[in-house]
Amino acid sequence: MARIELRNIQKFFGAVQVLKDVNLTIEDGEFVVMLGQSGCGKTTTLRAIAGLETVTSGTISIDGRAVQDLRAADRDIAFVFQSFSLYPHMTVYENIAFPLRAVRQSTSDRESAVREVARVLGIERLLNRKPSALSGGDMQRVAIGRALVRRPKALLMDEPIGALDAKLREQMRAEIKRLHISRNSTSVYVTHDQIEAMSLADRIVVMHGGLLQQVGTPEEVYNRPSNLFVAQFVGSPVMNVAEIAPQSGGLSFGGDAMLPVAPGLVSHLPEGRALKLGIRPEAVVVSETGGAGTVQSRVTNIEPLGSHEIVDVTLGATTLRARMEPGRVRTGAPVWVGIDTERAHFFDAESGLALRRTA
Amino acid sequence: MARIELKGINKSYGAQRALRDLDLVVEDGEFFVLLGRTGAGKTTTLRAIAGLEKLDSGSVLIGGRDVGGWTAAQRDVALVLQQYSLYPRLTVRGNLEFPLRSKIRSFSEAEIAARVDKAAKTLQITHLLDRKVERLSGGEMQRVSIGRAIVRQPSVFLMDEPLSALDAKLRESLRVELKRLHSDLGATFLFVTHDQVEAMSMGDKIGVLRQGRLVQVGTPSDIYDRPLNTFVARSVGSPPMNLIDGRLAGGAAEIGGFRLPVDGKPAVERTVTFGVRPENVTLQSGAPAEARVFDIEDQGVIKVITLDMGESRLHVTVPAGTRVARDELVRFGWKADRVLTFDPDSGHNLALA
Repeated sequence: MARIELRNIQKFFGAVQVLKDVNLTIEDGEFVVMLGQSGCGKTTTLRAIAGLETVTSGTISIDGRAVQDLRAADRDIAFVFQSFSLYPHMTVYENIAFPLRAVRQSTSDRESAVREVARVLGIERLLNRKPSALSGGDMQRVAIGRALVRRPKALLMDEPIGALDAKLREQMRAEIKRLHISRNSTSVYVTHDQIEAMSLADRIVVMHGGLLQQVGTPEEVYNRPSNLFVAQFVGSPVMNVAEIAPQSGGLSFGGDAMLPVAPGLVSHLPEGRALKLGIRPEAVVVSETGGAGTVQSRVTNIEPLGSHEIVDVTLGATTLRARMEPGRVRTGAPVWVGIDTERAHFFDAESGLALRRTA
Repeated sequence: MARIELKGINKSYGAQRALRDLDLVVEDGEFFVLLGRTGAGKTTTLRAIAGLEKLDSGSVLIGGRDVGGWTAAQRDVALVLQQYSLYPRLTVRGNLEFPLRSKIRSFSEAEIAARVDKAAKTLQITHLLDRKVERLSGGEMQRVSIGRAIVRQPSVFLMDEPLSALDAKLRESLRVELKRLHSDLGATFLFVTHDQVEAMSMGDKIGVLRQGRLVQVGTPSDIYDRPLNTFVARSVGSPPMNLIDGRLAGGAAEIGGFRLPVDGKPAVERTVTFGVRPENVTLQSGAPAEARVFDIEDQGVIKVITLDMGESRLHVTVPAGTRVARDELVRFGWKADRVLTFDPDSGHNLALA
């Protein structure tokens, strides 16, 4: 059980500032995922919470108690790394029991604690094996078991499944989420993988350049990105972003390409500023027949992915990618393109910030 | 003409058999993707065609001619690797000119300039020509290394995971660029990857490789909709195809105590492994089967629901707006015309046996 608060955290490595005024509250029992590219500051933030990294200034508190000057061992927090770091000469049982050696506890209490985590992680049958006889997924389960056996206040994970293959990652995602729910522990998880973030998090913290870009539920981050960076970091294929100019008849994509949209949409947009339209592939509508709110275009590429297709169409200087059911259009074919204006985003081209619709 | 044909290729590294009686045909001008896991023999196959690997047996034909005795340089193939090996001290132009200045080729300065300019234009790196390569981004470097392959105008391009080291956004855009490049050049492309999205989205044909053997060759839709066996079925699609052991009886499927309809299956009774893709499982009240929701993954555009069926788990993809809760009991069915049946022992697709 732990509520973690970061206030005005600054961190310099020499002259380089890697964390710029980070403020974040992680509620008790919450699963928070820090998402960003390498070098964005996500791992530094996690290590600062754990006490593996000092901060230059600011406060870190756990359940209201300032901990930034406490040693890692005194913070009652467990940490799981991408590399498994198990003791190769010990059995799985001994590895999991290892953190309990400092705790005064009867042998039977210790054994029941180890068996309980092993049961939760589904590795009871492996307890007598050495780590060298385990698969990658099982090794990471043991590492998580070792982190959990002390019943820490919070579990911090740094790309814990980044080294596993795709199928195992999928399976481990579900297990980690179940584990979090059954233990009701506060979890902070670092990844660069947007699918992991979307599928695990109660809230996602998107970081870039040492700054928090957006903090929100997966649904908020996906559907209401606060800026262009977030918009293009989450989602696959990435959100289409196009320079547009609002005109009386609709949105101009440059050249002759004018997409007619309802006047109400255009009138909400500010004048005299360079704007960008953001539209997710599933909100681009491509059809072989025209209609209101569409413009003629041509299919330049199709990626058949089995369950759906990614269809590229050109509008002026822009290529828009659309997500469609398989087999609806052909490459080179003339088509009509429209957008679902309910799901259109507009950004200030200079600042990258999303323009919130007022109506 | 650059049709590639491999006949009965065997290659071992010590006790490790990398390729086993491999037969493979890549037609002239085709974009062929070899899909397989680490150690399946993908890279060995490419190196065999390039002439970088001495084979234990079998023959390699390019354009109908046996190139077994030819050196790598004589084979007129270009190899693009995941690790772009550019000359860091040279400019982009210097790197692109380099293969044309080799001693065994003699090109006039005008010819060199023309080829470099054309390649740069094709790859949209003209504005970078005078830059040092160490100042380029990863995607730009990979384009330069492809450019270095293009300038020689080879008839065959061999690409070994060229996109794997790039970030997701860049991979997306280079996939499209590579396909365009292929149709502009009209050359034969053999592309090796472990990434099923790359294979599906780029290949005219996909060859699925497993432990040095070619398991199936077909168009992306052949591989996705008509897999030869359960291995192929699970190598494309994300989440992968659900495989559920059950019985075929009276033209319907019996799984976990439920009966679900299947179309076009013979009225024999037998145990089978049913295969159904997550997008063909439907959640609906009144549907024939029931299970508990084990996990929900919100991927923005869709949700992936995992159902706990006791012995197995079932993935279902549903629209993002679908409301379900973890541990809720839901009714589910499937699209009866999209269900495959496999032999539970051999894994073979019974419809293709």
